[in-house]
Amino acid sequence: MNAAITARGLTKHYGHRRDPRQRPGRVIEALTGLDLEIHEGEIFGFLGPNGAGKTTMIRLLLGYLHPSAGSATVLGFDTERESQAIRAHVGYLPGGIALYDTMSGLDLLDYLCGLYRRAPSRRAALADRLEMSAATLRRPVRDYSRGMRQKMGIIQALQHDPELAILDEPTEGLDPLMQRAFYDVLADIKREGRTIFFSSHILSEVERVCDRVAIIRRGRLVALQDVARLLDRRKRHVEMRLVGPAPSLEGVPGVSAIQTVDGLLTCQLEGDVRPFLAALDGAAISDLTIEPAHLEEAFLEYYAEET
Amino acid sequence: MDRVLFGRTLRAQRTKLLIVLAALAVWGALMPLVYAELIDTPLGAQFKQMVDSGIVPAQLTKFGGGDIFTLPGSIALGLIHPIAVALVCVFAIGFAAAAVAGERQRGTLEVILARPISRRTAYRTLLGSLIVFLCLAILAVLAGTVASSAAFGKLGELKVGNMPLLGLNAVLLYTALGSVALAASVSFDRLGPALGIGLGFTIVSYFFEILGSLWPAAEPLQPLSVFHYLDPQSVLDGKAAPFDLVVLAAVTLAGVAWALAVFPRRDLAAPS
Repeated sequence: MNAAITARGLTKHYGHRRDPRQRPGRVIEALTGLDLEIHEGEIFGFLGPNGAGKTTMIRLLLGYLHPSAGSATVLGFDTERESQAIRAHVGYLPGGIALYDTMSGLDLLDYLCGLYRRAPSRRAALADRLEMSAATLRRPVRDYSRGMRQKMGIIQALQHDPELAILDEPTEGLDPLMQRAFYDVLADIKREGRTIFFSSHILSEVERVCDRVAIIRRGRLVALQDVARLLDRRKRHVEMRLVGPAPSLEGVPGVSAIQTVDGLLTCQLEGDVRPFLAALDGAAISDLTIEPAHLEEAFLEYYAEET
Repeated sequence: MDRVLFGRTLRAQRTKLLIVLAALAVWGALMPLVYAELIDTPLGAQFKQMVDSGIVPAQLTKFGGGDIFTLPGSIALGLIHPIAVALVCVFAIGFAAAAVAGERQRGTLEVILARPISRRTAYRTLLGSLIVFLCLAILAVLAGTVASSAAFGKLGELKVGNMPLLGLNAVLLYTALGSVALAASVSFDRLGPALGIGLGFTIVSYFFEILGSLWPAAEPLQPLSVFHYLDPQSVLDGKAAPFDLVVLAAVTLAGVAWALAVFPRRDLAAPS
């Protein structure tokens, strides 16, 4: 599988420490020694709270920033020497996108697509999916709501059918229906073999749409895994209502923190569920709930290590 | 130059451009009118007597190197007048300072530079647009001047063949000012500092030139001003100094060199 994005020891520090006696605090370490490989055709989630270094990473990939150390390639092009070639093949949605208010939506999309010298082959489908009608696109951008501006941002990033889409907080300002429509758009793009680099702090959407995820903390990569494998390894919370003696769960692989209070048995379940279900065979229970594992727990676990 | 960015820049400025061009054309037409009124009327003759008698200081009638009692001098006075300077500076300073720093402050530069345009190409396109605006501005004022001179029967007093050189000299002056403002624009993330540097350079430069023309003791300051290298009366009289053009071209090149060195190397962090 070819790499759409690679980063080797990618580092970005802001500020200068001209004098060695100067306090290190004056240098902001936005990204430190990041190693990463994103495969072609995958939806890759880049997770971290505000200020973790997500946007810095994106800006390094697109050549807005110059690395302090290390290197990166996008679609085989070096970010320092070939950023123009990179941008010819990439669609980018900046976080909190700013648009030209005096232009109509359609003129703006024409203008931004014209700068690529590519036809807006995906525009009509995107506008249809995101419910941006022709009449809406004829209105000046200044009349658009926040959600409509975000939809414009998505359309301008994807309308020319880029090989790689870099989307910074793409669902910010979208209502739940539009979020769902956007996830469908991503699924379509993925089916066509395109790569999507997706930065977000909304864990549920990353869990829903991404194949793999990187978690970044204070500019350092703390996890890089398949979403499914990450979730498999999470502890799930189990509750069962007893109508008789409690089943013996001590020693069952993956089961821990067993507690029984007033006929309610709770425990944690990790990994394969089959030994647990076998242990329940014939148990006197009236109700059983196994809460699905969520990325949130994994995320919080990585961040808990910090405190 | 990027054709799409150039077209968009021209379209975005068209209303402002039309207003400024109309104002400059009217201003250019005004100078021959004032001159004709001074020369051809008894009131003008009385005023000239007052000046000749020394009641009115001669420097005031030769503001900025002009002379209201000759047509080339009147035109020179009009070209260096604060109103003409302010009108042309709408583009030389206002457009140039906002071209990059303004877009950056609004956040729209992100969207443009996400496209396959190098920063050098973006800069060259904006510089090209600036020069087009300045050429049109100077053309408007000179066209107004020639039309008005003809309307008042004074065209014979004007060596029209020298007008293109005057236009070139004026365009070079404002391009020099604009290149400084554009260099400031690519160097800052906010409009305020870029505009401050562009305006500051222009105002100080203008002040040195005018102060030197009104107060002999301040004459040594004049060569420090870019306005010193536009002498419309000499150009119209056929006594243009090529050195003036060289100095203005050198200032322009310095601004361009700064911008081409600084802009591509700058980090463009996320707008705050």
